[in-house]
Amino acid sequence: MNRPSPIVSLQNIGLRYGKGREVLRDINLDLEPGSFHFLTGPSGAGKTSLLRLLFLTKKPTRGLISMFGKDMATLSRRNMPKIRRRIGVVFQDFRLLDHLTTYENIALPLRVAGQKPKDYRDNVVELLNWVGLADYADVYPPVLSGGEKQRVAIARAVITQPDLLLADEPTGNVDPAMALRLLRLFAELNKFGTTIVIATHDSHLIAKANRPVLLLNDGQLDYN
Amino acid sequence: MAAFKHKEPRQASGLMPRSQMPLRTLMIAMTVMCYLACLAIGALVLITRAVNDWSSDIAGEVTVQIRPTDNIKMSDKLKIIADILDKTAGVSSYKILDTKAGAKLLEPWLGNADILEQLPVPRLVAVSIDQKKLPDFDKLGAELKSQVIGASLDTHRRWQAELTRMGTSLVRLGVGVLILITVSAIALVIFASRTALDANRQVVEVLHLVGASDPFIARQVQWQFLKAGLQSGLIGVLVGMATFILLGISSGGPASSGLADASYGLLIGTLEVTSVTYLLFLLVPIVATLLCLVAARLAILRILSNAI
Repeated sequence: MNRPSPIVSLQNIGLRYGKGREVLRDINLDLEPGSFHFLTGPSGAGKTSLLRLLFLTKKPTRGLISMFGKDMATLSRRNMPKIRRRIGVVFQDFRLLDHLTTYENIALPLRVAGQKPKDYRDNVVELLNWVGLADYADVYPPVLSGGEKQRVAIARAVITQPDLLLADEPTGNVDPAMALRLLRLFAELNKFGTTIVIATHDSHLIAKANRPVLLLNDGQLDYN
Repeated sequence: MAAFKHKEPRQASGLMPRSQMPLRTLMIAMTVMCYLACLAIGALVLITRAVNDWSSDIAGEVTVQIRPTDNIKMSDKLKIIADILDKTAGVSSYKILDTKAGAKLLEPWLGNADILEQLPVPRLVAVSIDQKKLPDFDKLGAELKSQVIGASLDTHRRWQAELTRMGTSLVRLGVGVLILITVSAIALVIFASRTALDANRQVVEVLHLVGASDPFIARQVQWQFLKAGLQSGLIGVLVGMATFILLGISSGGPASSGLADASYGLLIGTLEVTSVTYLLFLLVPIVATLLCLVAARLAILRILSNAI
């Protein structure tokens, strides 16, 4: 049986900031559609840098990145939004828009994609309920706690049911019960075909999920 | 699961936070630009009108000058000249100015008119010309010169050329000022666009990451610039119009003459003049709005093309 072509392929990737040493070295990685990986490693190992490459806010200093069958080095700027709409991102620092309500923050990817409010209202409301923020729909992020902000960020990342979900410490600010609940949400999404990469230090979460782990150590990647 | 019914707000929030837009500063600067543009346009209309009026006044009249000579009486010379003018096609009418009138013309330069009357001052004949059927000035000048000793024809062409030259220079200067105002306004909008994007760098980054295209982000910003341009244009023009009316009223109103009358007449006067003025003034907010929209969009797209 033929193996499905990877949704993300990194070949001999190297990344350095300015004239400093390489923070990522010789990274080779294929993510198959529907896979679920944890990305872990000590602080400063390059997890966030690797995620930045994957959500296209950084270009590698060497090597090739291919996503959804397209070479990112030759992808035109005009076609970049189409690729980004297939990727859901959860940032460590949430990156919510403070002038939009919780509801509007979650609906943002749909609004950007050109969907009409009446078409996405039910989906957003359902997700608000799922992450336990139904009562905070009209609240602005500055008054939310860290955990609540994190849940909004996760809801915004999954609202479009992306093909690829990249999450940087998505459970860092929530209690263990909520962390498990969010893990179930990721597993649910994965069941429907979303490829998931979660960068985390949370060894309990990794153990609970029982999924393959990508271990980054001093800029180099090991499969575990 | 908690029962929850979310009501969509009547109007979704703008994706760019309005409070962080440097629009107030831009609006003040653009209003001043529009006001200056309005003054420049008003000045251009005034200059063009004045030059046209003066030119047509000069072009409608020529002067025959007769120097006194010892051997022939002035009255005989004037009679011959009157005969020639009567026969010349294109001469509507003429008026022989008496000695007093001639002396009065020289009074500003030579002083007391009583003494001037005793001097051999040349006599003048003011000749009105039919503008539709101009006489042959060269032929008329030659005829006057040959038949009357000391007679010469002054067609005022030199003055007319000087006036036209001066008018053209002033109009060019006015257009130059308008171009400078436009260039400054474009630079202002570009600077404000850059500041707006810098102030909202994180919002722009998030929008890019959730799949917004550069034109989508530009649209979120450009409409706020369009609104600022329209408001600035309207305020600038209204203040500009008020300036011309106040200039007219404070200098004596429509009953007076000179700049006051002309300024007043720009906006409250004959339809022929006011329609041109209002049309040109109307262009100011339209141009300001389009300028803000296009300059902001192009600047934003250019800045975004260098973003992630």
